[in-house]
Amino acid sequence: MNIGLLLSLAGLASLAGVLAGVRWPRLWLALTVGGALTALGAALAVLLGAAAWNWQSEFSVGGEPLHFRLDGLSALFLVLVAVVGGAGAIYAREYWPDAHSPSAARRSRIWWSAFVLSMGLVLTVSNGLHFLMAWEIFALCGYFLITLDGERSGVRAAGWLYLVASHAGTMALFAFFTALASLTGGWDLGPMRDQAGLAPLFWLALFGFGMKAGFFPLHIWLPSAHAKSPSHVSAIMSGVAIKMGLYGIVRFSGWLPVPAAAGWVVIGLGAVSALLGIAFAFAQNDVKRLLAYCSVENMGVIMIGVGVALLASVRGHALWGQLALAGALLHVWNHGAFKSLLFFGSGSILHATGTREMSRLGGLARTMPWTAGLFALGSIAAAGLPPLNGFISEWLIYLGLFDTVTTEANPPWIAIPAVVLLATAGALALAAFAKACSTIFLGAPRTKAASHAHECGNWMRGPMLALAGVCALAGLAPFLFWPAISRAVAAWNPAWTAAEIPAPLMTLGAAQMILAMVVTLAAAWLGRQARANGLQRRPTWDCGYAAPTARIQYTGGSFAGIASSWFGWVLQPERKLRRPRGYFPTEAIRLERVPETVLERVIAPVAERVMWLSNAARRRQHGRLQFYILYLVAGLVALGLLVILGGLR
Amino acid sequence: MNGTVNLVIGLAMGLNLLALGSSRLPTLIRAMSLQGVVLGVMPLLIEHERLNWQILAVAVATMAGKGVLIPSLLQRAMRAANIDREMEPFIGFVPSLLLGAGGTIGAVALAQELPLLPEHAGSLLVPGAMASMLTGFILLIGRAKAISQVCGYLILENGIYLFGLLLIHSTPLLVESGILLDLTVGVFVIGIIVDRIQRAFDSLDTRKLTTLHE
Repeated sequence: MNIGLLLSLAGLASLAGVLAGVRWPRLWLALTVGGALTALGAALAVLLGAAAWNWQSEFSVGGEPLHFRLDGLSALFLVLVAVVGGAGAIYAREYWPDAHSPSAARRSRIWWSAFVLSMGLVLTVSNGLHFLMAWEIFALCGYFLITLDGERSGVRAAGWLYLVASHAGTMALFAFFTALASLTGGWDLGPMRDQAGLAPLFWLALFGFGMKAGFFPLHIWLPSAHAKSPSHVSAIMSGVAIKMGLYGIVRFSGWLPVPAAAGWVVIGLGAVSALLGIAFAFAQNDVKRLLAYCSVENMGVIMIGVGVALLASVRGHALWGQLALAGALLHVWNHGAFKSLLFFGSGSILHATGTREMSRLGGLARTMPWTAGLFALGSIAAAGLPPLNGFISEWLIYLGLFDTVTTEANPPWIAIPAVVLLATAGALALAAFAKACSTIFLGAPRTKAASHAHECGNWMRGPMLALAGVCALAGLAPFLFWPAISRAVAAWNPAWTAAEIPAPLMTLGAAQMILAMVVTLAAAWLGRQARANGLQRRPTWDCGYAAPTARIQYTGGSFAGIASSWFGWVLQPERKLRRPRGYFPTEAIRLERVPETVLERVIAPVAERVMWLSNAARRRQHGRLQFYILYLVAGLVALGLLVILGGLR
Repeated sequence: MNGTVNLVIGLAMGLNLLALGSSRLPTLIRAMSLQGVVLGVMPLLIEHERLNWQILAVAVATMAGKGVLIPSLLQRAMRAANIDREMEPFIGFVPSLLLGAGGTIGAVALAQELPLLPEHAGSLLVPGAMASMLTGFILLIGRAKAISQVCGYLILENGIYLFGLLLIHSTPLLVESGILLDLTVGVFVIGIIVDRIQRAFDSLDTRKLTTLHE
């Protein structure tokens, strides 16, 4: 079937979804899922061998003729949009229902469709002006989705922060696209690697798209936006929307020439994001904030892969760059799948208990077995453990980094610290997810809310199961995904067309499969033994306390205490401690909060200083005519002096 | 001819200093109107060889407007609003005088530096214009009452008018008449507003008109 036809059908379905979302939830769901499946079909067709779709029209919008294009790279990201867009729509039917708040559910549907549609447009338009338009619509829809629950002031603050950060990035993109248009003489986009003069524009694109991608110093908007928006929105924001920033970086580093230093900078940024992102994640108490910081880490991992590829393309066509890029692009999919799964899982917890704070949860594995199992599966994938998908993509990136050092006569030294930082980040990720899973699901419920939790329904479980299936499939049979990934790699750099599957990938797939089978068999055997012998449940040894409560359990904070103190220099936790006093102590308090350091310790003071200066300037506007005239005269005299002095020189 | 012109401009500069130094509104208005009449004569002096009815009309209109019409309007407004004859300076009279005198000297010095046409080089036209504008600005900045503000604007306009005379061949006097007309209308409006402000606020002190500043 024609790809253009499929894509226009998907677009029309999303557009109709915007209208249907107003009143007809079932029709909306059918349209959204149908549109997502159609788009998925088109994207898979391109990835699995059909020629890239390119469509130019005489019809012009804003003075520029329409030009759409779907090649391997954009198709790869479109798959993610379609999968999470569809899954989130199904999930929201139970998670964000009409019965709860009709107006919020309606807004959720409308903006969801518009958001998915705008991301599809960002991926397919091939004209700078239209790209900017689509990008702006995409950013605005994101704002409205984040602030669905806008009655809470925290949500509104998160929305504002997102909007401001997003527009700071958009400003750089305006500069990028206008500079590109003026240097090339047209707004039309396409491969132009041969024009070496365009290379410095890469830095603008890195800042503008990086703001959305949320790697380390630019991630300020990400934790609060992801934590405070509804969970289906967090899932698509974290799983898909931040990938749009990454798409921009990958797309334009593929189409345009890049400066020689680009690879180094991108690897450096990626390594720092990976390490600090997961350090922040580890110290969080809010489960969704933890997941959000973990996204910063994963974006860092992907950036390392992209950076190695940039390095490789500057140094001629090296095989290691190809491997690393394949790893990065596969990680885009993997992260999209497991992070959406984890956010859906945290939504299920939030739905059941009404809190995101891990120190108020506990023991949910008994009341919510499905959520617990799926969340644990997502955690294994996110921590990069075999036999799931996170391991495969990180392994490909590692392979690229190792080959950089071993095969080159003059190896770029940055690969070595990158490997070390990546490995440290991986260890911390494991610790962070061990903390999240154990605090939330194991032990005894710490509060009443946690003890009254209930399992989520089918509408929420279905999308989670589907995403878990994707994680498992990509982990156990990575060779199935190789053709699609290698096509995207070839779209990035036409010289990199290795069609056959690298041998290590086959071995790894087999190893993962065997490991998974061993684990499954062991679990089955254990289960059978337990059933045969009967389980004996006994209370934990309580150190002889007379009346122990659930609150004396290990908390997430105590679990993370030592490791996060290693990162005290960047985390800068705020502590408040009131020790128990006297023989019959009544009250003792220990509070700990990890601030968003870049935002609160760097940007906020600067912003305060700017506000102070503006206020000082505003005091000059007092309404006294005489002083206004004085300002005018002073200005005129200054201008006159400038002219005279300039003239004399 | 240049001698006469310079003499007249010197007179106007003296009137500037009088306007800066006077402590009473009627004196200020008189100084301003006298300056207007003196400058109204200027086109006749400069163009005395090529007199035509247009220049004559402009001179007469300027003199009538600045010397008779505007001062009488201001005096009527002053009487109608029952304004205190005292001025209320932000910048005291002696500092204003010093500023004005210093400005006049600076204007003469600056005019030496400017790349002027040879026929203007010897005349006081440019320094006179700049000194008048400076005086206008000092009055605008340094005096509180609405009427003295109007006088400041008019003296500023006199300075612009003097600059305009430099270009009397190339700029039609129509432009100058346009500015003058604007000012006359402005004075009319101010005359009416002054009355209204007086009735509404019992004061004409522009310092008290700051509540509407945003």
